[in-house]
Amino acid sequence: MSKTMAEKILARHTENGRADAGEIVQASVDFIMVHEVLGSRIIDILQEMETDSVWDPNRIMVVNDHWAPAPNIQSAIIHQRNREFVKRHGIKYFCDVNCGVSHQVLIEWGLAKPGDLIIGSDSHTTSYGAMNAFSTGLAATDSAIVLATGKNWFKVPESMRINIDGELAEMVMSKDLILKIIADLGPDGANYKAIEFHGPVVDKMTVASRATMCNMSVEAGAKAGLMTVNKQVEDWLSLRAREAHWTRVDPDPTAEYVEMITYDLDTDPVEPMIATPHSPANGRPVTEVDVEIDQAFLGSCTNGRFEDLQIAAMIMKGHKVKEGVRFIITPASMETYKAALNMGFIETFIQAGAIVTNPTCGACVGGHLGILGPNEVAITSTNRNFRGRMGHPDSRIYLSSPATVAASAIMGRITDPRGF
Amino acid sequence: MRAFSEIITGRAWVLGDNIDTDQIIQGQHLNLLDYEEMAKHALEIPRPEFAQNVKENDIIIAGRNFGGGSSREEAPMILTILGVGCIAAESFARIFYRNAINVGLPVIEIKNATERIVDGQQLTVFLKDGQVKITDTGELIKFMPIPAFMMDILRAGGAIQYYKNHRVN
Ligand code: SF4
Repeated sequence: MSKTMAEKILARHTENGRADAGEIVQASVDFIMVHEVLGSRIIDILQEMETDSVWDPNRIMVVNDHWAPAPNIQSAIIHQRNREFVKRHGIKYFCDVNCGVSHQVLIEWGLAKPGDLIIGSDSHTTSYGAMNAFSTGLAATDSAIVLATGKNWFKVPESMRINIDGELAEMVMSKDLILKIIADLGPDGANYKAIEFHGPVVDKMTVASRATMCNMSVEAGAKAGLMTVNKQVEDWLSLRAREAHWTRVDPDPTAEYVEMITYDLDTDPVEPMIATPHSPANGRPVTEVDVEIDQAFLGSCTNGRFEDLQIAAMIMKGHKVKEGVRFIITPASMETYKAALNMGFIETFIQAGAIVTNPTCGACVGGHLGILGPNEVAITSTNRNFRGRMGHPDSRIYLSSPATVAASAIMGRITDPRGF
Repeated sequence: MRAFSEIITGRAWVLGDNIDTDQIIQGQHLNLLDYEEMAKHALEIPRPEFAQNVKENDIIIAGRNFGGGSSREEAPMILTILGVGCIAAESFARIFYRNAINVGLPVIEIKNATERIVDGQQLTVFLKDGQVKITDTGELIKFMPIPAFMMDILRAGGAIQYYKNHRVN
């Protein structure tokens, strides 16, 4: 029988080599990433499970990224517990407060490979679909079970297939495309399902642009977002995962999908998009939104990568951040930060009046370095604009691409980047 | 972990569609290590009076996509700590559904739940039979029983206990 990408990858990880949509299977995972939820919850759960060993210290990554470096005592304690756990169990991959946001770092370290089954204690673990891996988020208890056994149960998802033909226009980014797709699907349009993205647009995309789309698949409820291997992925892996063995996974041509959707960007171009409060599925063209802002934020695992900083720097060059507006820029990783520093982007930002912070989740999760006050309005390159996500419940969050964030920071109101 | 019961009687708290995890518990509270402390902020945004007034075995009724967003297990956990006996929603976000079962909180899907049940009504949920009874009116609402595998986890008292019971030593 013909198989989807999700079925094929999961089948590689079950004992009998089978995984059909709808079935509940026991699967062995290749890799797990856990962040602060390790220190806050998982360690206690492992204790309750009466187990003090991990299944394989070489296939675990621990990250201190949500509150990095610790802005308060509770976070400091969580970080201490994570460090102690890493030492005690000899965990091979550790990203402490000086290294970056999990989903960016894991890809940078070449740990997401085609065909892999990867679990993270974070909903945006769907990001690694950009590398042709099946990756999904689980919470503390399920992560504890994986840490202890390397296995867990999965319901094999049905899949939907989205084909994207044509080409993205100037100043229109993969973020705009995924905001448009989520607006069309609705916040639960892909609930329990895997989304396969196909077509020339994603085949041409950089790893970063692809990761943005798979990252946000979960905002339509998807269990995973998946893409096939392209040239950029091959190049990325030959540089960063030189020793690793991997085989690409393609869906069978006659695989069954619950839904097939096609976008033709030549006949129906996607414009820069804004998701208005309080749902990532409230996407509308930027031309229909005119709102004054108090804060602009560029960062997160969705859009804090090199190409995101690059386009923002290009737009900022020779401009100033509007008086009264705070423009906060948080590179997604230290590697990104250094690359941006070398290219002079950081200087451009600072000269323009922006605030550049260290890599952290920070403002994205309403944690620190950019919390919103009552009635404040923000435009942000992150993935969620739920009520209260970035601070006060009466603040309002608009999601957009990095280009739109930068243009808006200059104008002090939500602005179409195509004029820059 | 409290004892699991297949018959749950309590007051209905009716919420809307898309109650996301930030509405159940905001990210800014996630570094509180003490669940009891965190539970004081449960559903703070949509129902500020909830955490104060909810009683043992009360039932949350919601619309589509309950628990969308973050993978935070704190969301179902603090509801359990406050005594919530069951959540009935039109649909659940995937990770929330899984987390609820893992922490031993029954979750059931009822079509148009928020139109059929009024806030404050007294209800009894019969998990095994797949029925909810509205006390005042005597009306019975049917739902698809929870899949057997997940019922086993609930009966064990959650995934940790289930894991311990099934561990191969
Ligand atoms: S950057 Fe934001 S969305 Fe990404 S992992 Fe951190 S908190 Fe979550």
